[in-house]
Amino acid sequence: MRKTFTTRKLVIYGGLLLGFIMLESPLILVANQVEPMIMGVPFLFVWNLVWWAFLTVLFLVAYLTNWGSKSVSRSRRDD
Amino acid sequence: MTGSILIIAAFMIIPLIVGLVSSRQSQGTSEDFFVQGRAMGSVAVFFTVAATWWSAFAFLGSNATFYTSGPVYLTALAWNLLFGFMYYWIGKRVWYLGKRFNYLTPSDLLGDFYNSEALRVLVAVITLVFTVPYLQIQLTGGAYLIEVASGGVVPFWLAALLFYFIIIVYVWVGGIRAIAWTDVIYGALLFFGMMFAGYYISSHVGGPTELFARLASTSPQHLTMPGPNGNMGYGMWFSLFMIVAIGAFMGPQIWLRMYSVKSGRLFNLMPFLLGLAAFAYFGSVLTGYTGVLLEPSLENADQVLPVMLMNYAPYLLASLIMAAGAAAAMSTANSQIHAVSTVVTMDIYQRYVNRDASQSRIVLVGRLSLVGFSLAAYILALTVPGLLVTIGIAALAGTAQLIVPTIGAITWRRAHPMAAFWGLIGGTACVLWLTYGASVSNPLGLHAGIWGLILNSGLFVVLSLALKRHDQDVVDRFADARADYTAEYHPEQCDGESSTFRRTSQAQ
Repeated sequence: MRKTFTTRKLVIYGGLLLGFIMLESPLILVANQVEPMIMGVPFLFVWNLVWWAFLTVLFLVAYLTNWGSKSVSRSRRDD
Repeated sequence: MTGSILIIAAFMIIPLIVGLVSSRQSQGTSEDFFVQGRAMGSVAVFFTVAATWWSAFAFLGSNATFYTSGPVYLTALAWNLLFGFMYYWIGKRVWYLGKRFNYLTPSDLLGDFYNSEALRVLVAVITLVFTVPYLQIQLTGGAYLIEVASGGVVPFWLAALLFYFIIIVYVWVGGIRAIAWTDVIYGALLFFGMMFAGYYISSHVGGPTELFARLASTSPQHLTMPGPNGNMGYGMWFSLFMIVAIGAFMGPQIWLRMYSVKSGRLFNLMPFLLGLAAFAYFGSVLTGYTGVLLEPSLENADQVLPVMLMNYAPYLLASLIMAAGAAAAMSTANSQIHAVSTVVTMDIYQRYVNRDASQSRIVLVGRLSLVGFSLAAYILALTVPGLLVTIGIAALAGTAQLIVPTIGAITWRRAHPMAAFWGLIGGTACVLWLTYGASVSNPLGLHAGIWGLILNSGLFVVLSLALKRHDQDVVDRFADARADYTAEYHPEQCDGESSTFRRTSQAQ
């Protein structure tokens, strides 16, 4: 088997890794602040919302691009 | 008061009607009763997975945690995303193997791949032992809500009893199809309830912006880790992220929803839908924090949402939103009762008691199991007190241990049955010991479930590398299935060689 990771796939999985690192690695402690409040929302909450939105949009992109895989006729047939 | 009783009554009667209507399509076979003939469509799958995944733990426990412990529950945004990703990456492979080899339970897949009766039994025991406490918190949460919504007219014991009576009736008649249909209603109510409750309640302190400003000046420790009690720091942030997502994902109720899906493509979309739904937690942020300002001395934090609603919202609106909370509890409880009855019926009754049981007999045993487990959870709810989140996480830490042999089964041909068995024993023993026996429950701030996963994974990898499997036919059968999966869904990873070539390559 030849493992071929398309650029799309690398971008999707790389982006997922980045998002989860920003949310769950000890980096979160850097964002663990009340100030600066942005639009009246504490910084920790804004940080979480921004990376949550990033990952959610990335999941949508992943779906639309078949998670970076080539289009597959058999998998579409069983819909 | 009459209005609220009517809302509660409607909430109880509607699922009954839905269950009875859905039962008209039942086929009378075990596959139909347990996994809807593997033909569940996209709308039903999303709502039944989301509503099953979001429980009383999410609806009541999230508010309570923001109220008592600060922002640690905010990690829920990430654990929903992780859950969604696992549903795509692991769930789709489990679904494929389930369809190919006709699995109904977690033990079916793991017992078949590892070719071990001992492991099959161990997996069934773990799913049962750790699901019942989680079931108990659904009952507790739902009953709290009904008790408060009725102004105490319906006491806790009666609310819990009514709650389970309704579930038993419609699951009895309709199986997983009735659950999926009712979960569409429950799911919609749940998301509406969480969002609207937060928005409405926070308006009593001037809206979200004013709420955060007041909290920043009066109780800033509620806005950062480790929270007002100083015990919810990074270790717990990371532990919750891992344990809640993995533990819930490995619960038998979610396994059944992997097997039930009609199309593989649906798994590609679920991460986005489940991630998007996580925004509803912002409603819990607003409710919990408004409670800090307006009701700072509640004895039972799990009641913060119902108490806030009763004190600050019109009675009918409060009852409607509490019905949504009961929906969260009921939609998880119905799935869990159904799932544990499936495990008892297929993994114990059919395999060890009556191998030649007829389809109608199997379905009957499944239905009787519903009643038995409901009774057990009811007794637990009346006798074992505790915060919903605390009980829930202990239960999830146990089921989370199943992720290790599962990943082994779907990816690694060297995964060894003894490694899976002793890994699970080590992991669950570690969880139980750190939860109930050790003097320090969270070494280095990490939850017992994380330590269990570390020990479990270590044992699994080391023993798999040290031992050699002798059942090559089973290993090859799964290698072929995995290769076919890859060829079908990820063709860029294949170059069209024969399955024999693929098999050889995978061994390396």
